[in-house]
Amino acid sequence: MDDLRENGSEQDVVIRTRIHLTRNLRDIPFPSKMNRTDRLTLVHKAMDAVEENKALSHILRYMDMGSLSKTEAVSLVERYLVSAEFISDCEGRGVFITDDESMSIMVNEEDHIHIQSSLWGLNLENAYQKADILDDLLNRSLHFAFDKDLGYLTQNPVKLGTGMRASLILHLPALRGSGGIVRISSNLSKLGLSLRGVFETGEDSKGAVYQLSNQVTFGISEQEAIANLKSIATQLIHQERALWEELAEKPEIQDTVSRSLAILQSAKMMAYDEFLQLASNVRFGISVGLIGDIRSDQLNRLIIAMQPATLTLRSGKKLTQNERRILRANQVRDLLYK
Amino acid sequence: MLCESCGKNPVTTHVKTIINGKLTEYLLCAECAQRLGYGNLLTELGCNYGSLLGEFFGEAERTDSVRCQCCGSSFNDIVRSGKVGCAECYHTFYDRLIPLIQRIHGDTNHRGKVPGGSMLRKPPQEQLSLMRRELREAIRTENFEQAANLRDRIKELEGGNSHG
Repeated sequence: MDDLRENGSEQDVVIRTRIHLTRNLRDIPFPSKMNRTDRLTLVHKAMDAVEENKALSHILRYMDMGSLSKTEAVSLVERYLVSAEFISDCEGRGVFITDDESMSIMVNEEDHIHIQSSLWGLNLENAYQKADILDDLLNRSLHFAFDKDLGYLTQNPVKLGTGMRASLILHLPALRGSGGIVRISSNLSKLGLSLRGVFETGEDSKGAVYQLSNQVTFGISEQEAIANLKSIATQLIHQERALWEELAEKPEIQDTVSRSLAILQSAKMMAYDEFLQLASNVRFGISVGLIGDIRSDQLNRLIIAMQPATLTLRSGKKLTQNERRILRANQVRDLLYK
Repeated sequence: MLCESCGKNPVTTHVKTIINGKLTEYLLCAECAQRLGYGNLLTELGCNYGSLLGEFFGEAERTDSVRCQCCGSSFNDIVRSGKVGCAECYHTFYDRLIPLIQRIHGDTNHRGKVPGGSMLRKPPQEQLSLMRRELREAIRTENFEQAANLRDRIKELEGGNSHG
């Protein structure tokens, strides 16, 4: 798996690519019908499946969700390794994670097994290939439930078929500024795709970060679903870029970008929401060529790492909100100040 | 565990309600369950509680003696919760589930991956046609680095074919 290209394209707009596969075992009830023993049985089966296969046991380490602190659990959500729903009830749940955090396997989520692979930038084919291989290796011992007409069997019949959800995390500041997102989003839903804010509160999507993903899993192959998603993403990327040149010439925009960078480089305390908005402005500045000495991928990593639980976890101690804001401002300054 | 309503007595009743598709769970003692109207739960469930999917599925048949051998679900259980109990349920209730699945997904079949049929083992022709499509797209979007990479991989595959 190491020889696959890890760096995707279109990184000025596409932050991350994620592929998610939903699988179930034949001989254990689906999660809504599971008791504690069933959950443990499944965890053990998954552990055996990983251990039996050197290709898997070398790269995956297991975390029992029940034994994690709240901070550790929330940080897994912030790093997109598990879903938010997954940590609402940690009992009898576990997750396998690769050291580079590009792949994870949730055990006992809404379905038995959720395989996830993610890569930076637009990289759907490689991300799918990695998830696909992992799926095959696990299937050798777990024998996933499958029907030739219905596809992979799931607890919720709406999700039958490939069980694949492909998502792209997009940074769309210009489209958001032009007010076009709502229209695009409603058009996309007619095409079986969804576009929604990642850091969403009400109507507002903080930092102009959006997730574009396929909704249809039945009657369509993985390759077709990925090709559809890619073609729509390509159109969105073009629409976003088409607005850049004009925006970059506006003094107000130039001012916002410069001020945002200056605050990131000099603030002594910073809340995450503020950081996200400023980072979004600076990321836009980099994309349109107003800022030259910082790279988008540095900001992408900061957007993940500066979230409250992840920041606290990596500091190795308990932090008050103020201490977190000070640490966040310090780390951002260190990285961005030349 | 103590009752979520009175906080005094041990839990004897686990109530799950699905209203407009939103699942809420209560852990109640016998007294509070009775007081809150969940006393005769077993007889009421069939008619009073329906999920969105349940409504979508239509009215479940009230008398239902067939149960899945693996998880014990009846067809009513599935309709009521909108959730299939286990993989075996799909076999046990196949004829009754198919019309519902067709109402959700339309009259079509699975067209994707078959277990163990990784992309790596796909017939080279299928891989090639996919990669050629990607190559055209890469050229169209002027992504020349990716195009060059794809061109090399296509050459490799084509080379492999002529020997095999």
